[in-house]
Amino acid sequence: MNYELMIETFPKLLMGSYITIQLVTISLFIGLFLAVGLALLRLSSNSFLIFFAKTYIFYFRGTPLLVQIFLIYYGIGQFESVRESVFWVFFKEAYWCGILALTLNTCAYSSEIIRGGIQSVPLGQIESAKSTGMSRFLLYRRIILPIAFRQALPAYGNEMILMVKATSLVSTITIMDITGIARLVIAKTFSPVEIFIVAGLIYLTINFAVTRLVSFCEYKLTPHLRYNE
Amino acid sequence: MTSALEIRNLKKSFGSLEVLRDVSLNAQQGEVICIIGTSGSGKSTFLRCINLLETPDSGEVLVKGELIKMKRNKNGKLNPIDQNQVDRIRSKLSMVFQDFNLWSHMTILQNVIEAPIYVQKVEKKEAIQNGLSLLEKVGIVEKASQYPSSLSGGQQQRAAIARALAMKPDVLLFDEPTSSLDPELVSEVLKVMKSLAEEGRTMIIVTHEMGFAKEVSSKTIFLDEGRIEEEGKPNDIFNRPKSRRLKQFLAANL
Repeated sequence: MNYELMIETFPKLLMGSYITIQLVTISLFIGLFLAVGLALLRLSSNSFLIFFAKTYIFYFRGTPLLVQIFLIYYGIGQFESVRESVFWVFFKEAYWCGILALTLNTCAYSSEIIRGGIQSVPLGQIESAKSTGMSRFLLYRRIILPIAFRQALPAYGNEMILMVKATSLVSTITIMDITGIARLVIAKTFSPVEIFIVAGLIYLTINFAVTRLVSFCEYKLTPHLRYNE
Repeated sequence: MTSALEIRNLKKSFGSLEVLRDVSLNAQQGEVICIIGTSGSGKSTFLRCINLLETPDSGEVLVKGELIKMKRNKNGKLNPIDQNQVDRIRSKLSMVFQDFNLWSHMTILQNVIEAPIYVQKVEKKEAIQNGLSLLEKVGIVEKASQYPSSLSGGQQQRAAIARALAMKPDVLLFDEPTSSLDPELVSEVLKVMKSLAEEGRTMIIVTHEMGFAKEVSSKTIFLDEGRIEEEGKPNDIFNRPKSRRLKQFLAANL
């Protein structure tokens, strides 16, 4: 085991973690907003909207993220109309393609998590809100979504951790995240074991932080569900 | 004088089951009306039709003389025309539920001030002041910052009553408010309700507490198989029942 190499590589990979954290935060943030919308479509009473949501979720959960990344990065550029449009500024960058793929993917999973949360809100609490004269919008904003998010938090924490790890796939489209840099260093040094151990440790640290963050949110948001107090 | 609440010819079926067959009710300001009857007689459904938690198949609901406008859609179901009107009227008809239905993610005080602040746009400071005095009134002001799950059933129901009062409603609707409570907790809730009746509030109460109905109501309605079988002064209903069904019911429940 070449410890010197490991220590040498560490700061390089740490630079990559900057990109990894960016990818995760941006795609989780946008993905969550889209997911709430998608979950509401899925729970609407309009059969066209339900069909749209179901199809979207089926496609993005049913195909590998790697395939989705390839299709967006290599696929979209095939169309001349895209290359000539204003969107090309966006799609020619691997970085943005990666974020788009991650966002669309997490949106599908998160929307199902949120749908579960929404459906677990006790009917009685919805009725008592209606009986005070809350409008539909207010009912969702003040009662249903706050309860749903609290219910969904543990499952969503899972999704956040999965996303941190999923970002490693974008290294395949030239993005220099932790894994991207690791592969670059390995190509020069031929020492995959040392480098990947360091990379793995960095991912572990990021996910440790994510786990703590989720626990903290849970503690703060659900005092009524704490076991012992 | 316009009635605080008037219900005309309410009908409601669930599938082939007729739950309400032409029920009408007229509550004057300050009246306390108790609705009694066997389970399955349509009492709760009737109450839930008043604030449109259930949509009646036909009939009219008037609150302080204002008719809730409804129309039939293509498949013959009755639907409110103006949801804003429904929301506005609901805020004047506070309901207390059998299972309390406090919002679990909010403290007791937050539960009480929620609708005044967000539905009625009351100043937050004023809402808190009013909320605390209502919690004081129902005797749980020391629980204001606790969550519903840490309260006993009786305390939760008193909090729910405070929440209903916070809306300064024209009519209070009670849907079997003591049916989920342990026997020793029933009296604390009934005591609060009795004090409300004495204040001259208009109340419609679906209940199994015969003693309470007899003592507090200004009018008692006996609902049987979706019809008003008998109605009148509680003294007449409980002491001089006329119909065979009511006699049977009282024999089984007194």
